[in-house]
Amino acid sequence: MTSNQISAQLFGKTNALTEQSKNFLAAIVATSDDAIISKDLNGIINSWNEGARRIFGYEADEIIGQSILRLIPVELHHEEDFILGKIRAGERVEHFETTRMRKNGERFPISVTISPIRDDNGVVIGASKIARDISDRRRADESRFRLAAIVDSADDAIISKNLDGIITSWNNGARRLFGYEEEEIIGQSILRLIPEHLRQEEDEILRKLRTGQKIEHYETTRVSKSGAIREVAVTISPICNSKGEVTGASKIARDISDRKKVERMAIEAEKIATTGRMAAAIAHEINNPLASVLNLIFLARQDDVSKQDIRNYLATAESELERVSHIARQTLGYYRDTGSPSEVQLRDLMQNVLSVYHSKLLAHGIVVDAEYNDLRKIRGHSGEIVQIFSNVISNAIDAMAQGGKLSIAIAQSAKTERDGLKIVVNDTGHGISREHLGKVFEPFFTTKGNLGTGIGLWVTRQLVERHGGHISISSSTEPGNSGTIVMIDLPFDNSGDANSANTGQLGSSAEIR
Amino acid sequence: MEAANTQIFLGNRNLVNSSEVYRSEEKAEARAEARPKILVVDDERLLADTTAAILRHAGFETRIAYDGFAALEVAGSFRPDYILADIMMPAMNGVELAIAISKMYPATKIMLFSGQAGISEILEQSKARGFEFPLLAKPVHSAKLIEGFRKLKDG
Repeated sequence: MTSNQISAQLFGKTNALTEQSKNFLAAIVATSDDAIISKDLNGIINSWNEGARRIFGYEADEIIGQSILRLIPVELHHEEDFILGKIRAGERVEHFETTRMRKNGERFPISVTISPIRDDNGVVIGASKIARDISDRRRADESRFRLAAIVDSADDAIISKNLDGIITSWNNGARRLFGYEEEEIIGQSILRLIPEHLRQEEDEILRKLRTGQKIEHYETTRVSKSGAIREVAVTISPICNSKGEVTGASKIARDISDRKKVERMAIEAEKIATTGRMAAAIAHEINNPLASVLNLIFLARQDDVSKQDIRNYLATAESELERVSHIARQTLGYYRDTGSPSEVQLRDLMQNVLSVYHSKLLAHGIVVDAEYNDLRKIRGHSGEIVQIFSNVISNAIDAMAQGGKLSIAIAQSAKTERDGLKIVVNDTGHGISREHLGKVFEPFFTTKGNLGTGIGLWVTRQLVERHGGHISISSSTEPGNSGTIVMIDLPFDNSGDANSANTGQLGSSAEIR
Repeated sequence: MEAANTQIFLGNRNLVNSSEVYRSEEKAEARAEARPKILVVDDERLLADTTAAILRHAGFETRIAYDGFAALEVAGSFRPDYILADIMMPAMNGVELAIAISKMYPATKIMLFSGQAGISEILEQSKARGFEFPLLAKPVHSAKLIEGFRKLKDG
């Protein structure tokens, strides 16, 4: 550029480069963060600013008059011929990214823009070179590329969205899980992934995100492009800008359909096991009177019995058969689970479970003290509640092999958020040790060796949660004062939304008493 | 601790008076001089009483106990050839009783009976301790019970 051209570009007219404006330009050059260097057509440096000193490490007086090649690694010296060729032809070299060398020999990435300098006649007499150290940018780029590669190769769906719920990024995992290509989903609402009946979840999620809260391992369902339901565990974290303001969210979703399937199978298996345990107890209650009836018939058939004796034998047989029918009505009838919830009386269900385990309680020398203070009915599945009670009572019996006291109380729940009943089952058994207590709700955890399936309490928790309830256990192993308290809260009516986005914590807890 | 004498109680009602019992015992005595002795143990009293009555008819000399500890006491004086014991009983279950009897009176043959399908774990435990006992499932027909004991006696 000639000085007139420079003047025209900077100030809108030629011949404007007064002393004052030249000083102004010199000040800009001196204070620039970038290195600004000029050289002649032989590559000899003839000006060197403060930025150049900082980046390359040479003082102006030691480098002016030296060849520009001192800044270029030997293997890249050929670049200079190419650059000078361009400059001689009057062309610019813009944003050329290459490697240069500091005074201490360190090589670093740099972006240079080189322009020809002309005299007032327009003849190229040298070149100005503006160089920017891009080490930091390179490092940032590299870590960004590395992160992008990780995100893209992840099995989980990783999605980001803004606070309006608009999807802003979409990885390969998301494509596999939900079926949408990146191009078709970016810019769309996240609601496209959320089933109709769970749409209110998104409001709750966004509300939490705006206050900077994270949502971890929240299990829910989403819907894919084809309309297929996906069971997922999602972790959603707010994304903040440099000022700390929440601008959006990253969402990691993991497909848990397989795990859920296994869990459902385990619950079914445990239901069968519970049914088996209860059936065994019922069998005992029924087979004893049946055995007596067979004996009485046999005795009545003997040759040498009087009519009066026969009448007595038959009357006894009759009352034994009534006992059988009573037990059958009380216990087996409750296995007819209709599938839809009905009004159930917890006292009756508890009494039935106790009658099933009557012999076992007697055999272990366990005294039962049951107190029913609130006889209001709740809406629920009687079969599932029987299973909840059965699991808890059968655990209490197992814990009191040497006898003890089983206290049962059903009263109004003290929980304020939802009206319901509280069932407290307290045994004086050996208790649960501190290291085991934290694991009692985990599937396949058991201290009963081969005799336990390890999923009784886990299933109990699932069933309690399915009723919108909460179960907690506290226990003590202190000799003379040992025992376990199981507390179950069940709401009167669970027809409301049991699963909103605030179910971050599980409906269960266990603590040392 | 109750060890029943020869009187048979059916619940609270006395169905068989003692004279009849003695009569039938005399008859049995006439059939065989050395009647085999059997102890029936069940916490279900009606079942214990009727079972004992049937076995007596079949020619056994019987005693009754309503729990495991009473059974140990009776066994000490009665020295039965056989014991028929229920498994699910309070305080001491049938398997524990059977193991104790096997140690104290090894000649006594033991038959367990139970109305519960889920007692396999109790049997497993006894097996682990080196004891195995024949098991009859309740309800068992009296004829089969008698046959079972005759077989035990002869074999």
